[in-house]
Amino acid sequence: MSELQRILHVEDDPSIQAVAKLALEAVGGFQVLSCSSGQDALDQLQGFAPDFILLDVMMPDMDGPQTLAQIARLIDINQVPVAFMTAKVQPAEIAHYRSLGARDVIIKPFDPMQLAAQVRQIWSLAHE
Amino acid sequence: MSKGKSTADELQQHLQQLSNAFAVRLQVELPALAQNAERLLHAADPQEQLQHLQSLRDQLHKLAGAAGTFGFSSLGQRARELEQEADQWLETLQQEQQSLQDFSHSLQQLALQQFQAERGQEAATRVVKPPRPNSSARRIYILEDQLAIGENMRLTLNNFGYHAEHFSHIADLDHALQQQLPDALIVDVNLPDESLTGLEYAASLQQRLDEPLPLLVITTQDDFATYLEAVRVGAMGFFTKPVDIPQLENRLERCFAQQQGEPYRVLIIDDDRELASRFSLILRGANMLVEMLHEPADIFARMRSFNPEVVLLDVSMPDCTGPELAQIIRMNDDWLRVPIVYLSAETDINRQMNALIKAGDDFVTKPISDNALVAAVFSRAQRARLLSNALSRDSLTGLLKHADIKEQAAVELERAQRSGKPASVAMLDIDFFKKVNDSYGHAAGDNVIRALANLLRQRLRRIDSLGRYGGEEFLVVLPDCPPDQALRILDEIRQRFADLHFIADGQQFSVTLSAGIASTDDAPASADDLLDKADRALYTAKHGGRNQVR
Repeated sequence: MSELQRILHVEDDPSIQAVAKLALEAVGGFQVLSCSSGQDALDQLQGFAPDFILLDVMMPDMDGPQTLAQIARLIDINQVPVAFMTAKVQPAEIAHYRSLGARDVIIKPFDPMQLAAQVRQIWSLAHE
Repeated sequence: MSKGKSTADELQQHLQQLSNAFAVRLQVELPALAQNAERLLHAADPQEQLQHLQSLRDQLHKLAGAAGTFGFSSLGQRARELEQEADQWLETLQQEQQSLQDFSHSLQQLALQQFQAERGQEAATRVVKPPRPNSSARRIYILEDQLAIGENMRLTLNNFGYHAEHFSHIADLDHALQQQLPDALIVDVNLPDESLTGLEYAASLQQRLDEPLPLLVITTQDDFATYLEAVRVGAMGFFTKPVDIPQLENRLERCFAQQQGEPYRVLIIDDDRELASRFSLILRGANMLVEMLHEPADIFARMRSFNPEVVLLDVSMPDCTGPELAQIIRMNDDWLRVPIVYLSAETDINRQMNALIKAGDDFVTKPISDNALVAAVFSRAQRARLLSNALSRDSLTGLLKHADIKEQAAVELERAQRSGKPASVAMLDIDFFKKVNDSYGHAAGDNVIRALANLLRQRLRRIDSLGRYGGEEFLVVLPDCPPDQALRILDEIRQRFADLHFIADGQQFSVTLSAGIASTDDAPASADDLLDKADRALYTAKHGGRNQVR
């Protein structure tokens, strides 16, 4: 089984980008590449070869679900799980996101000290 | 492996710095928010109001998501509440705009009508909405500026049993949309005479609707940018001209099948009623059907009546353990396809293994987050259903397989003999199918087979059964249907099939079919005998020159 090391984080808000990067690198020991837009993520995707992808839902231009659809055309999202990050969480929405191919949803606001553990849990569930 | 205290301190310091930076950002963002609120109040028209509200809503959404992460919990909370209020305002304003447009449209309609004085009581009758013609057929609107292409598509889709309408101009389509919404929309991207492209129009339309319409896109440009734009407006299919209409129809069929997807059925067996109810609530929230069983002895009756697609099973119950119950379920072959997932507080890996060795497929450990539970159950249910469909359905057509449709014929024969109501069966075969494969390739051949399957599905009744009997041979079982009626139905299908145009390698071609009918009126000795009679009738049709029903 492969290991969780490289995380691609797609988020247009620079503050969130910074805190997530810090949380995942310092607490989780992961290597994080932050992207500011869906297009940026698509451009970096194959070069970075992430083990896990974290996607903000609401972004200008290409939103999270649209980005996911494009990602799924480029790589196998069963191997590289994708999770959404969003502040809106109705059970029906979670089910909807999952039907798009996302593994899980991480709720905003998140606790920086817990984020790495959350990601790790989703990743191991996906690789059970 | 332990990290030194200094590293933890450093981390805290970093977090504090980020939090400080966020506080600085707030000093700019909060006044900007207030300014936007001011603009909202002084908006010149409803359109501008909507714009300001939308941007306010987005700003609040960001704030709600971010503030808590940096320790500004109460600000995040308040932003969340205000975001929800903004959402409500947006909805109200949009509805008002829509109603106002409807109202204005009704007024314009009124001006166009010619009125005469009505006599007596009738004067007071209200205006009746136009009835929906052929209400069982799915309504498809086509926006295509090229008349020949649009009309051809309309006629072909009507042959498939849809109610298709073609519009050359956006204004005509808009008008029809106000009368009645379709079940799906097909738009051409290139509309040189209009101010909008088909996709821009579709995007604005989808925004006006409560629920987006299934959308298919046709175009001459199959470049990445157009694909991307289509995906963004929610297109479910993308076809380049010349359009292979049977393939487009197949995609429509799939869109509708997805929409109608039944909720997954989950059975929870747990003696802890509170926990079972909680799980049940979470799963119902994710649109699943859930039943709970607290009495293991009732398992057989419940499995039969509810027919679950996933069983969630508590490991330790007083009367009988989870693994014991799982073994009982596994003794019945009917339920082999149902995944059994243990719910347990058990974290001892050896004991989990022991339980799995006896029976059952997986473990979910309590406590479990709502998301993880939904994910665990959803993925297993989805797989179980796909597997179940794959086992009994033909992969190309989605119709019943040989053995299952044959069994259906036997069932209907028996029912007909009991009830005295005649049933008919029809054996269909595509004429010169080998030629299609040889001249146009196997992909084109598969397309023809799929088109016939979809045509049959559209034209026949819900109670009829359809099966793929062999390569290009289909069997149809029509309960409560005398042979002359069966002949009429099948002959109509034969004509419609012959009218379909297929496209392969830029070439257009059509295909015909022959069919033979047999009825329970002919006093067949057995189901095999009945099918044999249909087969002989098919043989007669083939020898009578094909493209006919006997």
